Amino acid sequence: MTNNLKVLRAIKNISQEDLAKQIGVSRQTINAMEKGKYVPSTVLALKLARFFEKPVEDIFTLETTD
Amino acid sequence: MKTHFLFPNSFKKIGWLLFVPSFILGTYLLLSGFDFENSFVVKTFAIFKDQIIFKSTYFSFIENGILDELITVLVIVGGILVGFSKTKNEDEYISKIRYESLVWATYFNFGLLLFTTIFIFGIPYFYILVANIAAMLLFFIIRFHYKIYQLNKATNDDE
Repeated sequence: MTNNLKVLRAIKNISQEDLAKQIGVSRQTINAMEKGKYVPSTVLALKLARFFEKPVEDIFTLETTD
Repeated sequence: MKTHFLFPNSFKKIGWLLFVPSFILGTYLLLSGFDFENSFVVKTFAIFKDQIIFKSTYFSFIENGILDELITVLVIVGGILVGFSKTKNEDEYISKIRYESLVWATYFNFGLLLFTTIFIFGIPYFYILVANIAAMLLFFIIRFHYKIYQLNKATNDDE
């Protein structure tokens, strides 16, 4: 699964640290997601979607290997 | 996301304070051939104790050197608190790393145990079994904290 969190974060001009605080996770988790090392739970994906005011599918995309 | 079966973060420090000294002391005493049986002998309650010369006893008070029991309890309680207290910034990713470390530690521990069972005999094997009381917890704690260290480093390197 890929995501465009980094781009969305740049558009909103918010740091990993601040986003982490807003969502209620650690900065490490935001970082790992942006690098594609961690696939978030549905709860976390929905929280991110709510924060960026976008549907989940606009942030996360399935890959052919999924 | 809610994390289950974990102690509050404040217990982690207590865990370290119990685990590290008792683990070092236990390892040192075991390796130096300390006479646990005849040191710190007190009356303790025993559900069962077998005796070579006398009859085995059930539900009775016995004389026993308690230092080995004491160290074992401290190592286990301390280790559990270190491994299963929430980190300062516990979240679902950290929990995932914890569970993966636990799986890894289980495989590693039983892999070692299988190997030593097949190839080590006699008194050394007895020592391995004693060490195995704490081994899995130890492997888990090392692996988990190493992974957290790697994660923190990777996150900080990105800045």
